[in-house]
Amino acid sequence: MEFGTSGMLNEDGIHVDMDRLKKGEVNLGTSIMAINFKDGVILGADSRTTTGAYIANRVTDKLTQVHDTIWCCRSGSAADTQAVADMVHQNLGMYGIMNGRPPTTQTAAALFQELCYENKDRLSAGLIIAGWDERHGGQVYSIPLGGSLHKQSYAIGGSGSTYIYGYCDANWKEGMDEEAAVNFVKGALQEAIKWDGSSGGVIRMVVLTKKGANRHLYLPDTQYAVRHE
Amino acid sequence: MNHLPQSWGRPRDDIYGAYDHSYLQSNGPNQHTQSPIVTGTSVIALKFKDGVVIAADNLASYGSLARFTDVKRLRSFADSSIVGFGGDVSDMQYLDRLLSSLDTREAYCSSGHSLNAQNLHTYLAKVFYKRRSEFSPLWNQVLVAGLDAESKPFLASADLLGTTFSAPSLATGFGAHLAQPLLRKVAPDEDAVAKLSEEEAVQAVKESMKVLFYRDARSLDKYSIAVVTKAGIRLKEDEKLENQSWAFADKIRGYGTQVN
Amino acid sequence: MTSIGTGYDLTNSVFSPDGRNFQVEYAVKAVENGGTSIGIRCKDGVVLACEKVITSKLLKAGANKRIATIDRHMGAVSSGLVPDGRHFTSRAREEAASWRKVYKSPITTADLAGRMGGYMQAYTLYSSVRPFGVTAIVAGWDSELELPVDGQVGSGPSIGSGGKAKDKKYGGPGLYMIEPSGIYWGYYGAATGKGRQTAKAEMEKLNLAEGKMSLLDGVKEAAKIIYVAHADNKDKEFELEMTWISNLEGPTKGRHQEVPKELLEDAEKLAKKALDGDDDDEEETKDENKPAEADKMEE
Repeated sequence: MEFGTSGMLNEDGIHVDMDRLKKGEVNLGTSIMAINFKDGVILGADSRTTTGAYIANRVTDKLTQVHDTIWCCRSGSAADTQAVADMVHQNLGMYGIMNGRPPTTQTAAALFQELCYENKDRLSAGLIIAGWDERHGGQVYSIPLGGSLHKQSYAIGGSGSTYIYGYCDANWKEGMDEEAAVNFVKGALQEAIKWDGSSGGVIRMVVLTKKGANRHLYLPDTQYAVRHE
Repeated sequence: MNHLPQSWGRPRDDIYGAYDHSYLQSNGPNQHTQSPIVTGTSVIALKFKDGVVIAADNLASYGSLARFTDVKRLRSFADSSIVGFGGDVSDMQYLDRLLSSLDTREAYCSSGHSLNAQNLHTYLAKVFYKRRSEFSPLWNQVLVAGLDAESKPFLASADLLGTTFSAPSLATGFGAHLAQPLLRKVAPDEDAVAKLSEEEAVQAVKESMKVLFYRDARSLDKYSIAVVTKAGIRLKEDEKLENQSWAFADKIRGYGTQVN
Repeated sequence: MTSIGTGYDLTNSVFSPDGRNFQVEYAVKAVENGGTSIGIRCKDGVVLACEKVITSKLLKAGANKRIATIDRHMGAVSSGLVPDGRHFTSRAREEAASWRKVYKSPITTADLAGRMGGYMQAYTLYSSVRPFGVTAIVAGWDSELELPVDGQVGSGPSIGSGGKAKDKKYGGPGLYMIEPSGIYWGYYGAATGKGRQTAKAEMEKLNLAEGKMSLLDGVKEAAKIIYVAHADNKDKEFELEMTWISNLEGPTKGRHQEVPKELLEDAEKLAKKALDGDDDDEEETKDENKPAEADKMEE
């Protein structure tokens, strides 16, 4: 399947991440991110799933748990990324049982990468892996389309991310406290939702620390101002 | 429903006729040929009398997007060679792991002998050729810098097709157009290499990196540079381009006759 | 033995009425006839040593190594049937390589021991195979640092990751011994082969469990133990073979390597001296040859 590598929007305003979709395939035309902060990591995502210009799901959960404190953000084909996440989920579960210790974020990233790399010509999956463990603290890995693996202090992905490279670069600070970190993620995703037609709906977050996983939800009708309980 | 799982859930043959299996194409060649997605640009290298200088910037591009700015594209091998990678980053990472496993296999026999740059280059070229013959090429162009069996400076390239070259100076990608002419001026042949000092070689490579930053739209001003000699490897991965020339922009007004 | 000649020892996978697998016990006999192998777990590394019995004067000195590299950070030595030891090595290498392929990180010493224990145990279950005629000692250094995923690029936050548990240490030396039955334990000091009893007695004197032994002292002690243990096998000539794995700051930078020639010869000299002299002399020579703090190998 042909697809451009220009990183530009093509004539129908669809980002390259979508060019690889099969006809009628459901796309997570998405804004996703994960960041490191003082006590761990935060994952964030919008909630829009589209088929072309139609919103197939307006309250999607793109934050997927693959182990107790290892999660991932999914972008690209919903089917592909769900299949990959399910396989890693199963594998990590086995790892924890067989080795008597929880897998590390590295383990998860390695498994994700192998699947994405070895099946690169069949998949359209842009993933961000974020996890917390006692030894390594919070870690963020990005696996873009070709299946390369990048360790980052924060990662952004999906079609909406192209609009927020500037925002994130300008506002990023290492070692933020939880409140500042949540606001950073929220601010970035708000901009992405604002400018990217393929992103929208609610903002979901997962905060991963030694206390475990903690979900946040922010709604558009309150300008994402208050955390929905 | 009959006893054949293959036909469960399918329209019954006796009512709808046999299923047209041509819709499930199972013959024809497997298509593995991909194209690069996250990519690194040029690698440049120059031999001098005692060794080789090699450099590559720290950028991994996603199309025109400067997506990752901390990607180190020079990899050392057996504390005696450097491989510089251009092209697809996921394939670079695969080769990195492949070389690590090669290194481990070499350590199985404690002969005290290790693979030199020439051996390493031969190995990589064969890997590239094998993969392109399987229609699943590793989308890279690499330079291998180090010493050969006689401990003389060694520099050679290999690419996704398995093509190899060796020369006093080499460059991949944009560097082949922009840097190679500059490097050739410094070291046109092996005689010139024999007279070239390390300082001169490093200087020439740094100048070339600067030109590449000026003119390659997929480049970055942060780069890695390594010097390989008999004494070993000196690898610096967080260099910044220095002494750039931009102030002359002040003298440029309009695009023709305009003076203010 | 009451059961000699009862037929319960003729095949693997058949219990004797009192619940024993005689084939496994015979395999242990093969081990007990082999040259002595030992491993010492020190605070900053692990050392492996073996008494390589010379079976012919026509063999090249120093060739035909008996301690093998399993992965960059791990080595193994075995006593008993040499070809069985080689097969153990080859399987251990496969296990280490397959772990690396799947998880893109080095296997820990404990995990490798577990895998090999399982593998050897499988050879006690079937009538078509016999158990391994070796007891193997596996030594490794599990990195004390945060390991990257093999091949990854980028390094995350410059200030390090957030939310790490403080003051906890990870990684370190690993030493395991796996027996023909497939049983394996972790040890501070492990010994097998003909001279194991002597070697164990010597190692118990070293108070290894305190975790104070340095790798350099460990190398000297290991050489001495092999020489002392050789007394049980005096009629045969032998070569001392030693490898070590230090921590990342140490001389091998976390890699499994042969102990350098000079150091090996020094250790051998000390061992011979300790063996020749009586106890008092031994103490003296030990002090004299103790390296000054500044002489210690550091990198």
